[in-house]
Amino acid sequence: MSAADVGTQSSAVSPPGPPVVRPRSRFGRRPVTRRVPAGVWLLLIVPLLVELAWVFWPAFNSFQLSFTKWSGVGVAEPVGLKNYQTLLSDPIFHTAIQNNVIWIIAFGGLSVVIGLALAVALNQPRRGVGIYRSAIYLPMVFSLAVTGLFWRVLYQPDGPINAVLAAIGIDTGQHQWLADPNTALAAILIAAIWRQAGYIMVLYLAGLKGCDPSLEEAAAVDGATWWQRFRYIVFPQLRNVNTVIFAVTVIDSLRTFDIVWTMTRGGPYNSTQLLSTYMYQVGFTQVNLGYGSAIAVVIFLLAIAFIITYLVRATREE
Amino acid sequence: MKPAPLPAAALTRRSLLLGGAALGGSFLLSGCIGGTPSPAASSGAGNTSTTLTLQSSLSDPKPKAALEALVKGYTKQPVTLNTVAIEQFRAQLPTYLTSANPPDVLTWYAGSVARDYASKGLLLDLSDLWTGDGACAKFSPALKSLSSDDSGKQIFIPTSYYWWSIFYRKSAFAEWGVKPATSWDDFMALLDRLKGKGIAPLTNGTGSTAWMASGWFDYLDLRINGAAFHRELLAGKHSFDSAEVRKVMDTYATLVPYFDPKGRSYSWQEAATPLVNKKAGMYLIGAFVTQAFPSSAVNDLDFFSVPAINPAVPSAEEAPTDGFFASAKSKNVTGAKDLLSYLAAPPQQQSYVEASGSSNLPTSPEVDTSHFSPLVQKGVKLLQDTKEITQFFNRDSSDALQTTADTALTKFLDHPGDVAKILKDWQAAAKQVWNS
Repeated sequence: MSAADVGTQSSAVSPPGPPVVRPRSRFGRRPVTRRVPAGVWLLLIVPLLVELAWVFWPAFNSFQLSFTKWSGVGVAEPVGLKNYQTLLSDPIFHTAIQNNVIWIIAFGGLSVVIGLALAVALNQPRRGVGIYRSAIYLPMVFSLAVTGLFWRVLYQPDGPINAVLAAIGIDTGQHQWLADPNTALAAILIAAIWRQAGYIMVLYLAGLKGCDPSLEEAAAVDGATWWQRFRYIVFPQLRNVNTVIFAVTVIDSLRTFDIVWTMTRGGPYNSTQLLSTYMYQVGFTQVNLGYGSAIAVVIFLLAIAFIITYLVRATREE
Repeated sequence: MKPAPLPAAALTRRSLLLGGAALGGSFLLSGCIGGTPSPAASSGAGNTSTTLTLQSSLSDPKPKAALEALVKGYTKQPVTLNTVAIEQFRAQLPTYLTSANPPDVLTWYAGSVARDYASKGLLLDLSDLWTGDGACAKFSPALKSLSSDDSGKQIFIPTSYYWWSIFYRKSAFAEWGVKPATSWDDFMALLDRLKGKGIAPLTNGTGSTAWMASGWFDYLDLRINGAAFHRELLAGKHSFDSAEVRKVMDTYATLVPYFDPKGRSYSWQEAATPLVNKKAGMYLIGAFVTQAFPSSAVNDLDFFSVPAINPAVPSAEEAPTDGFFASAKSKNVTGAKDLLSYLAAPPQQQSYVEASGSSNLPTSPEVDTSHFSPLVQKGVKLLQDTKEITQFFNRDSSDALQTTADTALTKFLDHPGDVAKILKDWQAAAKQVWNS
């Protein structure tokens, strides 16, 4: 959206009439250090240093740590690739990877589909639509930890969810949603999507506002069905929003931690462990920082793989 | 997008690169939580040689307020009290102790955890507080040996402890016409009677507090194999896949049908609710359970010790001990010791026990316990009469071993039939902890 704005602005500002002198020909090929004012360099270098000190340096340390055995006390003992070898045969790590894949697909897919459907449904000017929009967005206001605690209460065996299901005739036998390894991950997913869908909805609503209504009207006049109008007229105009949402969703899926931690702590017996929760457990509960760092590196590599594919695609399209 | 003039294009490319770097950076950040904290930069307030730093993990409201009040009452030197949430404290403790400018005094647990740090030379030798007219000179020998490191030096100042037992409501037992059990057969009969009345005989909160499953494991091991075996088992000298542990699990399996099945979803606090509402009969838990009880029902609470299974095994109770240790690198050793002496003195122990709201016991024999509740007095007597004292699974071993127990025991509670495989997996996981 903002990129589109900048685009239209710059084209509006670009000089009308014949370009008299282009900047490059006036200054010739001067080195970039002199072409950019010193003040700008300063503004670039300060954040770069902050970034290096607070992001890259700790990250680099984490990489180094992953090749050691360290309990936080004394000298880290180098062990080469042993942590990574252990990962390969660690059943909990396998569960965590598997759960993360399920998580990215289900959390990403469902929250986008539901968010888009809500946005399309609530994009029409109707009475009270604002109330619906804010109500659906409201869960986003709570922190994930609060969401987790709240849903934990709902999922209790004698809690509201089982009561409601019983009232409409579905006897769950006081099913223990979070204590049953078969339902625990799905139960957490529902809570996470409940929170995320409103956020995605707001992003899509903003995107829909930027769509040109005359195009849709023209298509309607030409006899396009609702679905055709959505698929071929509206959706292509949402491309910029889609890329933002893709990035947001991947980031949010990979960094999911709080909601799982507050609802199950990765239990029952590690069946809801994600890479992030397992890393936390290994690194901070067991204080096995070398092995924890190895898991962190895996998370990093996954994230970077997603992001590089995304960046390559985005730049190619431009 | 329309093609923009050249300088703008260059800018876009640069900003894209920068943006990419920032994006990648934010991933690095999310991935690097396990990074090395630089030793000098961490650890709370800048402590000079005059201001003492007390790093506390007591973040529950009442214990926190109780310690704050004690610190306020200490006027000899300025003290900065930093209270940190326990999870974070646990993770940061090695950093605190190894930093160049460590907190002088820290709250933590007695036993293998403190010993572990002492063996790395991180804790201050506090032996002089345990001799002559030192603050801990009159503490019991059991506490002294608990507070000693492997070389026999005292490195810990215990200030309060609590006991584990089977808690029940007196009025509920009267209503149901049952009595506390004194033998194991009695206990099994009691479970059957309660179950026959439609009451869940036992409650437990093994959902979000999976470590609660270790309570029964510890006690059954103490009753069947004894405290000596239990300590050795947790120290890695026996296998979890051994005949002795198998025996413990077989007994545990006979209890499984008597647990309130909903306990699998509960935390320890939530599991107290059925006990309060008389829907469940008994709860094996630490005395901190009184925190989860409404004040009107606390006086109705009573307990009995887990009955003996093998009379030849000496009696043993779990009594986790809390207190303080000091950093070996403290810049103000005399000040730190003086603060510790103050915190360990009878009046401070007494006001802490009263203000903290949990049914903790004072470690000093000089504290006047006569106006403590009958429940606490009974707890004092229980621990005085027992032959052996253990801490709790994680305190007798490590938090890393506790996670292996949580996995194994919660799985066992769901599938008692798979015990052979569960014990094999447990031993494999434990081995990894001991070797790492």
